[in-house]
Amino acid sequence: MTPLLFLAPAALVLGTFFAGALAQVVALSFTRYTAFRGPEWVGLENYRRLLVSERFWQCLLNSALYLLVTPVIIVLSLLAAMAVEAKLRGMSWLRLALFLPVVTPTIVAALMWRLLYSEESGLLNTALQSVGLGPINWLSERPWTLISAAIVTLWKGFGFFMMVFLAALLSVPRELKEAASLDGASRAQVFWNVTFPSIRPAIALVFVISSISALKVFEELFVTIKGAGIAHQTVVPLVYQVAFEEGNYGMASAIGITLFVIILGFSLVQLRLSARGERA
Amino acid sequence: MSADADIPMVERRPLGLKLVWYVVSLLLVILAVGPAIWLVVIAFQPAGGELYSLRGGFTLDNFKDAWTQGGLAWPIVNSILVTFSRAALNVLIAALAAYPLARMSFRGRDVIFVLLLATMMIPEQVIVVPMFRMIVGMGLYDTLLAVVLPFSVTAFGIYLCRQAFLAIPEEVEEAARMDGAHALRIWWSVILPLSAPTLATLALFSVIGAWSELLWPLIVLQDQDKFTLPVALTNLQSALATNVRALYAGAVLSLVPILVLFALAQKFLKAEIFAGSVKG
Repeated sequence: MTPLLFLAPAALVLGTFFAGALAQVVALSFTRYTAFRGPEWVGLENYRRLLVSERFWQCLLNSALYLLVTPVIIVLSLLAAMAVEAKLRGMSWLRLALFLPVVTPTIVAALMWRLLYSEESGLLNTALQSVGLGPINWLSERPWTLISAAIVTLWKGFGFFMMVFLAALLSVPRELKEAASLDGASRAQVFWNVTFPSIRPAIALVFVISSISALKVFEELFVTIKGAGIAHQTVVPLVYQVAFEEGNYGMASAIGITLFVIILGFSLVQLRLSARGERA
Repeated sequence: MSADADIPMVERRPLGLKLVWYVVSLLLVILAVGPAIWLVVIAFQPAGGELYSLRGGFTLDNFKDAWTQGGLAWPIVNSILVTFSRAALNVLIAALAAYPLARMSFRGRDVIFVLLLATMMIPEQVIVVPMFRMIVGMGLYDTLLAVVLPFSVTAFGIYLCRQAFLAIPEEVEEAARMDGAHALRIWWSVILPLSAPTLATLALFSVIGAWSELLWPLIVLQDQDKFTLPVALTNLQSALATNVRALYAGAVLSLVPILVLFALAQKFLKAEIFAGSVKG
């Protein structure tokens, strides 16, 4: 009896709001359900309409493009982790500085970048124009709108993955690296033949986790490129707009389920990678 | 930083390589901290002249405007309330649930653990429609409780606590049981104090997440006096379109508390936690 009492609050919250809500969203995706009318069973109607919805495919394509954040963030955060691990004189505050974006609320990050992107007189366009380039329509023209938002995601996220890679780098046995250098391996060779294989599991995991967050992105687009229109947004902002601005809950549920199925694919890969990591 | 000790001193490096890392570090720091500094500069800049350009002058007017025109007083109070409750509840409920999962044997324990963890694979963004429906059904729409309740415990928190509890030696608990203490007593006076660092880390993660969150509060809050800071800022993005510097002052106001907290609590952000977080 006692164990269940300890578990009850957590089970109640997660069971109701996550498991229960998932069951509901599946059911609601098969209904016509708006802010004015209760749910009414329509079978696959929502999905059929999604297949021919131009803006749905546009947002889905944008989500796919947004996945390009992942390779860039891996390079950036690995570089940061190696810089932190190098532990140079006078740089003990480096990790702290690089972690600042992680604790910055996303909305603040989006607003501060919006300031830099300002098309008439932002710092970026001013700098570009002073060297004879630009101006770039960071906030209104595809694909710049997506790039602008993606930069915010990169900025906000790389410090987190830096810590993940730092943990991986610190767990590479020193003896291995030393043995390799004694055998005459160059630094580059030590990296590619010793360090890189040891941190490959971490890279694989970061790849999956970063992809999942890229698919779930909302605030960076909603705030950074506010006003650019739905054609510049990804799937989650579309869910928000369809549900809470247009009041079409049934359709929004169907879009949510589509996204869930895609994310689930990535989650299952993550699960397999984690299981392998535990065994190793 | 406190974790310096766990980074082994690296062997003597050639000057060229050191220089490369100094340059890489410097670029990363400019990227990480630069936009935030620019935000602060603009927030203290007097009105008039070309927006976003570098001029002299210093004023607190923008902050006054953010406070009076922007009405940020209640949002700040609300954000503190929501953030504090979410972090406290998350630690409490997760630690409760993790105790039997780590230290008791009973039928179905492993199944329950896997089921709780599986809720991590359900993205909040996918289930906002049914979650919104439940909150309305409970009569909690437009209340701070609605912002807190669905996130009052996270599967990640349970995972983190369970890991910490597993590391506590059996004997410690055994001794308390001999003295006749019952489960709740042992949990409170033996297990919790011994896992304080992990609980602090979990609290810190919850605070960072809750302080930043926009999507869910945006959906369930309507009255301006109930807004959390991110929702208020989103709202001001349109409302203060003519006084952008006040908006940025508001952004600074929501950045400062979390930075102060982070500076005070950064010792709980050890690299090992991040190794665990990607496994979770």
